[in-house]
Amino acid sequence: MAVCVTVIGKENSPKYISCLNPELDLQFQYKVHTSLDVVEEKLSSVGKTSGDVRELYLGLLYSTEEHKIFGYVTNTKIKFIIVVESSNTLLRDNEVRTMFRKLHTIYTDVVCNPFHIPGDPIISKNFDATVKSIMSGNA
Amino acid sequence: MRSSVSVILSSPAPDTSMSHPDYEQTAHDHAAVLLLVKHVGNQLKQKNFSRVYERLSRVNHVKVVDSVGVSREVSARYIKEYPVENNDWGDYQTHRRLLGLISVEKYDKELNELCRVHESLKVKYSSTLFDSRCVLFGPPADTSPSEPNVLSTPSNFKTRALFYEDCEACVGLEDQISEFLCSLFWVLESKRLERSREKVERVSLLLAPFERKDFVGLDLESRSNRKRCVGRMTKHLGDLSLQAGLATEALSYYSSAIDILKAVGDWLWLGGAYEGLCAASVVLLYPNLSRSFPLQRNASLQEGSPGKQSWGRITKENKKRKGIYRSADNRREKNGRSFFHFSLRCKLSVLKDSTVYILNSQNVTTEFIFLFLRSSSISTNSLPSDMSPTEVQQEIQNVLSPEDIPKRYREAIIHYSKYLNAGIIEMEACFKAARIAVEQGCTLQASTFLQNVIFINLTLSELEKIQRFTSLSDLYTQIGFHRKASFCRRLAATRYVSAQNPQPNWAQCYQLMLQALSGHKLLLDPTEFPKDGLQGWPALQIQLLQELVVAARRMGHSALATRHMTFLLQTMWDHLLPAEQRDLALQLQVLAAQCEGAPVPLVLNSGVVIPPANLTNLPQIWSFVLRDLEPQLRPQKIEKVKEDSGPFLFTPIHFGSLERKTVVTSSKMDYFWVEGDVCEVAMELYNPLPFELKVLNMRLLTSGVVFESVPVSLSLPPESGPHPVILSGTPKEIGELEVLGYSTHTLGVKSNCRLRHIGGFPHPLYSVDVIPALPKMQVLTSLPKSASSGSLGETLTVVMSTNITLYAGESAECSVTLSNVGDLPIEMVEVSVHSTLEPLTQEQVFQWSQENLQAQLPLQPGADASFTVYLYSLADFLNVSSTAYGSQPASFLSGPSSLPSRLSSPTFGREQASRRSELTASFRSGGSSHSGSSLGSSRSPFSKLGAPNTSKTLEGQLKLRYSGGAGLESGYCRLSSVTLSVEMLPSVQITNWDVLPAETNSQFYLVLDVANITSHELELQYTPSKCILIEGNESCRIPVPVNRCPLSKLTKLYRGGKISADDRLELDQICSEHVAASVDLRWHILSTGTRGRVSLKGITLTPEMLDLVRMSPLQWEVTLNSQPVKPQEELSCRAGQCLQLGISVHNFLERSLWQVCLAVQFYQDHQNGVNNYRLETRLANAGASKVLLPEVRNILV
Repeated sequence: MAVCVTVIGKENSPKYISCLNPELDLQFQYKVHTSLDVVEEKLSSVGKTSGDVRELYLGLLYSTEEHKIFGYVTNTKIKFIIVVESSNTLLRDNEVRTMFRKLHTIYTDVVCNPFHIPGDPIISKNFDATVKSIMSGNA
Repeated sequence: MRSSVSVILSSPAPDTSMSHPDYEQTAHDHAAVLLLVKHVGNQLKQKNFSRVYERLSRVNHVKVVDSVGVSREVSARYIKEYPVENNDWGDYQTHRRLLGLISVEKYDKELNELCRVHESLKVKYSSTLFDSRCVLFGPPADTSPSEPNVLSTPSNFKTRALFYEDCEACVGLEDQISEFLCSLFWVLESKRLERSREKVERVSLLLAPFERKDFVGLDLESRSNRKRCVGRMTKHLGDLSLQAGLATEALSYYSSAIDILKAVGDWLWLGGAYEGLCAASVVLLYPNLSRSFPLQRNASLQEGSPGKQSWGRITKENKKRKGIYRSADNRREKNGRSFFHFSLRCKLSVLKDSTVYILNSQNVTTEFIFLFLRSSSISTNSLPSDMSPTEVQQEIQNVLSPEDIPKRYREAIIHYSKYLNAGIIEMEACFKAARIAVEQGCTLQASTFLQNVIFINLTLSELEKIQRFTSLSDLYTQIGFHRKASFCRRLAATRYVSAQNPQPNWAQCYQLMLQALSGHKLLLDPTEFPKDGLQGWPALQIQLLQELVVAARRMGHSALATRHMTFLLQTMWDHLLPAEQRDLALQLQVLAAQCEGAPVPLVLNSGVVIPPANLTNLPQIWSFVLRDLEPQLRPQKIEKVKEDSGPFLFTPIHFGSLERKTVVTSSKMDYFWVEGDVCEVAMELYNPLPFELKVLNMRLLTSGVVFESVPVSLSLPPESGPHPVILSGTPKEIGELEVLGYSTHTLGVKSNCRLRHIGGFPHPLYSVDVIPALPKMQVLTSLPKSASSGSLGETLTVVMSTNITLYAGESAECSVTLSNVGDLPIEMVEVSVHSTLEPLTQEQVFQWSQENLQAQLPLQPGADASFTVYLYSLADFLNVSSTAYGSQPASFLSGPSSLPSRLSSPTFGREQASRRSELTASFRSGGSSHSGSSLGSSRSPFSKLGAPNTSKTLEGQLKLRYSGGAGLESGYCRLSSVTLSVEMLPSVQITNWDVLPAETNSQFYLVLDVANITSHELELQYTPSKCILIEGNESCRIPVPVNRCPLSKLTKLYRGGKISADDRLELDQICSEHVAASVDLRWHILSTGTRGRVSLKGITLTPEMLDLVRMSPLQWEVTLNSQPVKPQEELSCRAGQCLQLGISVHNFLERSLWQVCLAVQFYQDHQNGVNNYRLETRLANAGASKVLLPEVRNILV
């Protein structure tokens, strides 16, 4: 379903990047990287208006001719970015939300690992496998 | 209409489509008069032209009172280039028409030529041009003032020429231009009025350029086309009104045009009307947004792209924004408007002028900009009627509310997107809309507009694509989307050198790449780069830097390429794969071969400074330790000031510990370096690259005192380490030296690696004190060198070790030569010996003459001095400890108990006098009867002596403290040591000794068993005249006549009273020393010729021996018939003969003896061991055999 899944740290540096097609890795990185501008803008505008609990799901950040980029920010400012193909019209908003929720869950598992130092790149095999299955739409 | 649209879509007409997008347009430009300022000819310098252009650009607002008496505001937009194709769109949007022409040039002679060029320009834009001016500079006043025709244009030149002497002053230029602007306005106004008076039925159809051929043959008189004509004309009137300063009228024209055009489905013109409506509203709502800061650049559009789904969200966002907007608006009301407005403007323009404000702390700055943008969007609208947007809305009909403007723009853009040929219009509209959104503070909305620009598919030249991307980038920067901005800049940069670009411009590419760095959180100063590498996206950063390197290289600036490559390797090292590390390092090597990298900032033509990049990873440093000087060169205080810290050697209480400031940081070394001496720093390096790394010219970086560093070159094998490296140098001054790091030259790059910038070091620098220069001394000895430095304590300062083998008792000389190898005279030398020996023994073993040495000082550089150390192989010849013989000499003489009386005598130890008489006998018998047996048994103890008498080593350290020059004045010296190691071979050994009475009273015989432990034949001289030869490993017994110990040395013995144990020991000692001093034994090994002396020092004497050693206190002289009798002399006489026995006693004590009882006792010796004391029948006494003497006087007194 998704073509690229990234986890981005508090300071906006990448912690985990996985692409369906590793050859396009750099291209996706550019896309995800520029989408951070939108994420930051959304976060800053929300932060000002209300002190309420923020919706973690940011929705569509922007779309290009080939891809749509969705964002999700945890309360600790960890950003999840999922890139899907624009041609995939079957994918609905709800499914994207589901993917993010799964991603959040497995990310939590990674952070719960006492050997994982928060802020370090994620190198968990389990995480990797699960992300791969999310991308392929099996999970 | 659908059909016509399909026709349009099917046949694009490239010749009629506007192909030159103007990315700088703003909504306000809809209301401006377009003026072309053209630089004709080439006399005027570009700089001067720019200055003139600047001056002209400032005249962009003119107030004109129209015929009705209403004040109109006419704004102007000046441009330098205008393609004629764009002019053709003047019917569609009137602000695209070029209305005025100003040509600017400096002339000399060819005034006519200039006029001709000007005229040709006029012809080019003749369809729209209203009027023109020609600004002419020069010639200088003195040049041919007599020729009036120089200053006159040809008669057929219709343009008004403005003459100025030079382009600096140009008095009145602005006024002239204002006047020109006014004239243009009046022409425009007249055209507007003319149009507005046209009858509705008779209006002609206005066409966009590409539409012309589509309407050929269509029935223009049909009802729908009639309406179309009217709608288009209404919109056109709106355009004209807006340009003529009648925004409110324009609004109503636009609104009605929208109604009409919507009805007939004329989408292109409907879009235009929407845009016009927006533009008019913007002019009314934000009058001061107009081009006061020329910020916006350019961009380009494409068309016919899908993906407009996101547009729906804009309005939502907009509503959200409204709240902020309104509240900020209210705030503005409270503030003094004009002042507030002014200050904001200033700040805003400052911000926008600087392109570096994004470099650091992105978020903060972003907020900052937003704040100002938002504030400005609100507070800048000092409306002519002093109205806020809401008031304007209430006041004027048809004006759009701020949040409606983007909505209408969105609609306009959607309509434009239906036409392939309107791509540029669409793109420009996107930019205009984005700018409005930026001003309104609707960031996301602006980004959506900008995002749309990408979708517009246009065939543009590479240059226009570049402009598009840079414009996008500028706008993204404005809304704080720095990543996106950088992305666009990078794309623009790649366009400069793309394959399609006929004229690749690497310099421009490089400039843009450089600007893209900030968005990737890259700072060009590696020292500011976060060491943990948490910031930014390494993959993208590496990519960008690599592109930057390529751009720099291709533009021919090798130094820059080297610099960036160095930076890439330095900062991205941890993120590179090993293969990449290798490749990049090799690339760097290639680049640096063209231009070597140096640690100096590079200043580009644009004024950008590229800070130096230093390679600290190649080679990687593992340790960096300052080294103390060589131990023998270490300076020491000549006099150590003993601190008085109370009665305790250690106290946990630090006196003055309250002065915490004086605590020295550990980066300060606790030792000294010496001026002019080579000092060292030890490092460990690691080569992480898979090929051999050559490091050249490695030096130390220091500050503080002058330091001359010695370059080192090394070659590190691939992927290996740590390699120890020592960097050295010489301090040239006195004071504190700070060692900051090191510099390298590797892969062709010179780097200054400061510890401050290398992680993992506790201190950013190390400091060490440099003290004044000290001399250097070399020490040589005449003795052979030995490998070991000796086992004595401080072996560090030992410069030389010597070894000598001596037989016990042998003497040797060691000549010590001191050479001054330094540059300073040696003015002070102190010699001392340090060893484990007793001080007294030490003095005997090592002797030298300090005075001799002092006489040779000062020692000039290069000079030598020498002195001699006398070595004496001192040994214990007596072998006391090894066997029972020495320690119990009494047993030597025991054996067959010829002395039962002595051993069993009850007077033993109590009465000295009674014992003494017996001793003579005992010695006589012992000396004769036991010599044989003791000699016979001497073999066995001798063989036992072998083991303990193997060689023994004496060690001494000759310490030489020396100083001179400035170092001496400041109280420092150096210490050199020479280890003198004396290996002692045993020579002779005294295995046994005894004493025998001599023939005279004043002497006794010391009988020694002397063993020759060497394997050589040895000659022993024991008296001045007597020698004995002893074979190797043989022993023999020798009698040495010794004077008895005079009583004068033993006064304590007879002083009376108790003799304490201590006194007795002392007395024994005196006797022992007497014996040792009296006996002079010299040996001489014949084969080697070595000679030596045997010392009997420490010989122990039993009480029995002592009696003989000591002089007796009373001396006897016995006369028989007045003939003196010698002891043990035999005299014969006949029985019955009367003998006269005379006895005289001499008192040798220091005092008189009182009540001395002198008794004579006789006995008969049967010569068979039996003595008969009962002599009543054998001997008769005539006279007393016992006499009581009242006093025996001291003979000496």
